[in-house]
Amino acid sequence: MTGGWPAFCRDLLEQFPLIFTGLVQTLRLTAIISLTGLLGGIVVLYLTLSRSPIVRRLTQAYISFFIGMPLIVLLFLLYYGLPQWGIRLSPFVVAVVGFTLNVAAYNAAYLTSAYNGLEQTELEAGRAQGFSHRQVFALLTLPQVLRMSVPALTNQVILNLKDSTLAFLIQYTEFFARIQELASTNFQFFKAYALAALVYLLLVSAIVLAARAVEKRVIIPGLLG
Amino acid sequence: MSPVPLIQVRELVKDFDGQRVLAGVNLDIMEGGIKVVMGPSGCGKSTLLRCLNRLVEPTSGTIHLRGQLVTGAGVDVRALRQGIGFVFQQFALYRHLTVLDNVSLALRKLRGMRRLEAEQKAMYELARLDMAAHRDKYPGQISGGQKQRVALARALAMDPAVVVMDEPTSALDPLLTREVAQLIQRLHGEKVTLLCVTHDVLLARSITEQVVFLDRGVVRAEGSIEHLSSAHPDALIRDFFGRESGA
Amino acid sequence: MNFLDILALLARGAGYTVLVTLACSATGLIVGLAIATLRRLRLPVVLPLLDVYTYVFRGIPVLVLLFIVYFGLPGIGLKVPPLLSMVLSLGLIAGAYLAEVFRGALESVDAAEILAAQASGLGRLQVLALIELPQMLRFAVPGMVNEFTTVLKYSPFAYTVGLPEITKQATTLTATTQRGLEIYLAVGLMYFAVFRILLIAVRWIERRYRVPGMVPA
Repeated sequence: MTGGWPAFCRDLLEQFPLIFTGLVQTLRLTAIISLTGLLGGIVVLYLTLSRSPIVRRLTQAYISFFIGMPLIVLLFLLYYGLPQWGIRLSPFVVAVVGFTLNVAAYNAAYLTSAYNGLEQTELEAGRAQGFSHRQVFALLTLPQVLRMSVPALTNQVILNLKDSTLAFLIQYTEFFARIQELASTNFQFFKAYALAALVYLLLVSAIVLAARAVEKRVIIPGLLG
Repeated sequence: MSPVPLIQVRELVKDFDGQRVLAGVNLDIMEGGIKVVMGPSGCGKSTLLRCLNRLVEPTSGTIHLRGQLVTGAGVDVRALRQGIGFVFQQFALYRHLTVLDNVSLALRKLRGMRRLEAEQKAMYELARLDMAAHRDKYPGQISGGQKQRVALARALAMDPAVVVMDEPTSALDPLLTREVAQLIQRLHGEKVTLLCVTHDVLLARSITEQVVFLDRGVVRAEGSIEHLSSAHPDALIRDFFGRESGA
Repeated sequence: MNFLDILALLARGAGYTVLVTLACSATGLIVGLAIATLRRLRLPVVLPLLDVYTYVFRGIPVLVLLFIVYFGLPGIGLKVPPLLSMVLSLGLIAGAYLAEVFRGALESVDAAEILAAQASGLGRLQVLALIELPQMLRFAVPGMVNEFTTVLKYSPFAYTVGLPEITKQATTLTATTQRGLEIYLAVGLMYFAVFRILLIAVRWIERRYRVPGMVPA
């Protein structure tokens, strides 16, 4: 079975358009959940800073629940559980909703820990100048917290890309699902999966390089750590 | 000169978790005047300042600004805060913004000025404090004394009724004390109303002769440093002001 | 069938979930320690290899590596049983992440103490074993807990290679009862419970070995 390269290459070429659309789906899903997860994380951070103790409690519960629950269980709950209530969502919608709930919780946790490293007197200075609660958040808290969290947030994008393989378990035909099809046409599983691993590795490397560029751009001059 | 004080504090009380930090403070600040409040650490100085712009809610008592009651319900707290220029002990500049943006942010977001107009006003204030050349630097790139000037410019840019300074020398090299005093006097000369709290007798001396002594939440004495350090009946007060009288 | 019955049926899989989690965590711990130690010794040829290992294994999705091992290796004549497949995928990936955790923790060991140990005549390996590792392991506790939690959350992948753990029980149960909602909620609760129990265990160990007053340098 170590041979079979010609057959594998032929099938690969034949199925290349499908594999490529799968790759596009993977990238699309990764981009969408990275964005919604970031926006969700910002909203959750805003709520954790709420002046109402009930809102703060609920937000904390949200974060620990979704960080504690395996993503795959959440996806299965949405995909195989909700139909019991007559709610049938497409694999794509399930993936977006499930990932967003999960990723937002993680991002909120990173942002909250960055918030704890902020100079509180700066925020007090903002209030003293007459800025509203929301203005202090938007003008002072968020720009700093986001900058400090760039490494954690970009790391989350890498995790999102890698975890997007889970979507294939709920019948979403992304890249890994297409590789699966390729493997099952010629039974050359090792070659097909190794190819997939290589592609993911290259994509991760691209994100790492992009993240370094972003990090350099957002650094605040004269600020250590 | 109007006989009504710009700021009138009456019987101001503040309790924190059952602890009385301010126990009935009375204080008047005249328009264009300069007031130095002194006292040992923990005497309630910072709390008093924070009650003025309601960063801290007083438990009881009243504060009037230009004859208007600014304590209690129904006061536009954000408008009140815009009228009080606050310079924090550690200066609290926004680290992610340039010097220019630190000064112009509130003008744009609170006064609704366009960027150009706000920056002109900000540059005017920075130039007044000899900081114009540093407009594009970030707070992490300038010295403590320069940070203080930017913080002052940020406060002055809003044309406040009063500029409040919390311990202006405590975050600086002691060698800069005289420089800070000169800066404060210059602003006083430009008719800026100033309220400064400090425990630094040397600074107080270089600003003004008349001071207020706050201790355990009340004004214990008021008068010239000369008198307080030599002739006041309370030995504790004589001690406090006598500490650095030789300097 | 009520919610308790569902929980009882799922609980049959909990043992496998814990088994997979412990096996992969232990593998990760050993691999991570080995890498961190080898890196600390600064051997010329080994160093780049270690970097490649941590880079590659942190860059490949767990599911892809699991499929390479379980479905791919038989094609080149290596048949790997399910649990070992989990160990060779999730476990090795955890090892790469833990190696990074340990690298950071090793940097927190006071350099002066290492110098002092060498000055007293201890060899390089002795310094590592007696001074650096004991301190490093304590500094690394938060990162380790984090990684073990991640292992637990990826342990459901074991169902794709046929291990009868919690999620596998759930898929079977859902297929027969059509009550996915309660079942997967119960699954979520169960993972949360396992997570809390493991956390308590780790905290207990951490407290047992805590050195009063020692903080990262």
